[in-house]
Amino acid sequence: MKTTIERRPRAGWSLAAALLAGSMLFSGAARAADDVSGDITVWSWNVAAAALQAVVPAFNKEYPNVKVTVQDLGNQPVYDRGLAGCAAGGTDMPDVYSVENGEAEVFWNRFPECFSDLKTMSPDEGALLAKFPAFKLTELTVGDKVYALPWDSGPAVVFYRRDLYEAAGVDPTTIATWDDFIEAGKKVIAKAGGNTKFVSTNGDTSWFRMLANQAGCAYFDEKGESITIGQPGCVQALETIKKINDAGLFMSGNWDETLTAIKANALASAVYGGWYEGSIRGNAPDQSGKWGVFKLPAFEKGGNQTANIGGSALAIPASSKNPKAALAFVNFANGRPDSQITQLKASGLVPTLPEAVNDPFVKEEQPYWGGQKVWEVVLGTLPDIKPSRGTQYFAEADSLVSAAYVNFLKGEGGSAQAVLDEAANQIASATGLPIAAK
Amino acid sequence: MVATISASATTSRQARARRGKPIDRQWSVPYRFLLPYLIVFSIFWFWPLIYSFLLSFQNTRVNPWTIDVAVNWRRLWVDQAFHAALRNTLIVLVLQVPIMLALATAIALALDSPKLAARPLFRFAFFAPIVVSDVAYSVIFRLLFNGQYGAVNQALTAIGLPALDWLHDPTWMMATIIIAVTWRWTGYNAIIILAGLQTIPKDLYEAAAIDGAGAWRRFRHITLPLLKPVIVFALVLSVIGTMQLFTEPWLITDAQSSGVSIEMLGTYLFKQGFRNLNFGYASAIAYTIAAMAAAMAAFNLLLSRRSSS
Repeated sequence: MKTTIERRPRAGWSLAAALLAGSMLFSGAARAADDVSGDITVWSWNVAAAALQAVVPAFNKEYPNVKVTVQDLGNQPVYDRGLAGCAAGGTDMPDVYSVENGEAEVFWNRFPECFSDLKTMSPDEGALLAKFPAFKLTELTVGDKVYALPWDSGPAVVFYRRDLYEAAGVDPTTIATWDDFIEAGKKVIAKAGGNTKFVSTNGDTSWFRMLANQAGCAYFDEKGESITIGQPGCVQALETIKKINDAGLFMSGNWDETLTAIKANALASAVYGGWYEGSIRGNAPDQSGKWGVFKLPAFEKGGNQTANIGGSALAIPASSKNPKAALAFVNFANGRPDSQITQLKASGLVPTLPEAVNDPFVKEEQPYWGGQKVWEVVLGTLPDIKPSRGTQYFAEADSLVSAAYVNFLKGEGGSAQAVLDEAANQIASATGLPIAAK
Repeated sequence: MVATISASATTSRQARARRGKPIDRQWSVPYRFLLPYLIVFSIFWFWPLIYSFLLSFQNTRVNPWTIDVAVNWRRLWVDQAFHAALRNTLIVLVLQVPIMLALATAIALALDSPKLAARPLFRFAFFAPIVVSDVAYSVIFRLLFNGQYGAVNQALTAIGLPALDWLHDPTWMMATIIIAVTWRWTGYNAIIILAGLQTIPKDLYEAAAIDGAGAWRRFRHITLPLLKPVIVFALVLSVIGTMQLFTEPWLITDAQSSGVSIEMLGTYLFKQGFRNLNFGYASAIAYTIAAMAAAMAAFNLLLSRRSSS
């Protein structure tokens, strides 16, 4: 038996709504940028924060009266503090909020009033949103409301140390499959010796999500209505990671520890989204010329070599005291090709705005990467990436998968299929969603 | 609670009234002193306790929240992640608490020994870890136990032992947490037990010595029995503390990120509440933790009463 509990609307929200309505009265004609003024605070994390910071000077040329403060809180704290802020009715929130697409839906579903619907903030916003690819908008849209402006995507590639590969006589162009990759890894670490490992993991699910996406599988189906983690693609992904693990190629380390290992020449490759380019370059400037990239190895020769991991959007909390300036900044950073290229140059954030994808910079040779046209390789994978839906249950599913995944790598829980079927059952009991037929 | 206060107040009033003292206006004095505290307590403690209890009977994953009496409590029975968190917490309880209390007793005896030079210095040294903020020490432990560069593994390899993956292998993660918690709380418990030791009359030992009892027998038949209530007190505090363990697993084994970690009841509660945004379920977990801690504490107290009577 269920009855609805009446709850009083939060004063903060109605106030914010009133503010919004007030600002909408003035959105008739095109306003001069000088009218927009005030201070705005932006929450973001490491490279993404650096990218937004890089946009600020150009933004201030156009909007001289807005003072932008970008705060780098770290990835997980942004999520945690955002949820806590929304749960508290929109207190202690910034003016611009960075959110990962895969984690975004919980916000709009549980707190429909915590963030502003961008479409109602300006008459031109709908046209801007329409420029972005559909796969970026799916997770930001609820009904006819769009809660955030797409930002970057995370086409996955292999970043590798040319010198360490060469020393072991490994030619990356011959790495066609994950099995080749494992053989190459054994050679490289045997040659390098010491503490050097081939790839890194902190035991989270990012490897699994990447390879599952490559195999066309995800936790949930594209509508977010059923659990698909027991499907063959996910099994194949998990088995492949187990092989990499059993070959002794992984080093264990979280984000910072992995970067430390890179700096110490103790990691020969990194498999991650395109945005990791900026992390490597910013973290180890002295290794300029020693790095290169190649596409993901396929499961079978000639198979799919693309996957996406991460990718984010910018949202504007409804409690923002300065929504006009916040919207101006969000539109400036994400809605203009030149700003997106600025962010690509600064941090390796891969644009999702189609006009930016065709910028001449993308075709340029990158000195840090040994003169390779890195962005051509990374962006070249975009058309083949299969969409994958986070859903509002992402965090819950992810923690269950994470536990099963760690046990499987330790050799517990039986076959990959059995482990994933068990995970599917647990996700079903946690979310109430049905398990998709195989 | 309020009822018992007023009841005891009336009985004492009647008692005093029978003794023929006018106290009519004085009985409320302590309550007036207590009023500011009671106001704060009811707003920030009592109401959240009640509200959390009510939340545990609601489905908080739909908008708006609905009453669904069994949804969270049913899930506790089938939720394997919760069971794993419970198991991990009990492992720490069963392994860490006895080790720590045995150590604390040994340290207390050493600190109590008149033969020990510089006693105040040692007392401070053992008590010092509790002064350090738990966040700060957790971060330091994570550095010390780092698999590749940590001092602990450097020391192990230096004496020819294999390096261990302290922060990512579940078994060793558990060991790391147990070592960390033991480091931080042993001295604290030792000081409590030391205070207990100092209440034991010295003439008992003298009498026993005259009767020809050796050191071990004196410890076994005088110190331990008389120390028992204090040890039980320390045990109850440790049980409650362990049930709520949060900072160490959160920071040392990186439970804050989504990587490998040891899930404890405290971290699981946090994740359900503030990461999956399921306040109803988090409340059910919180009440379960509190009930178990209370039951264990009561059981310990009961046991000590039984054996001492």
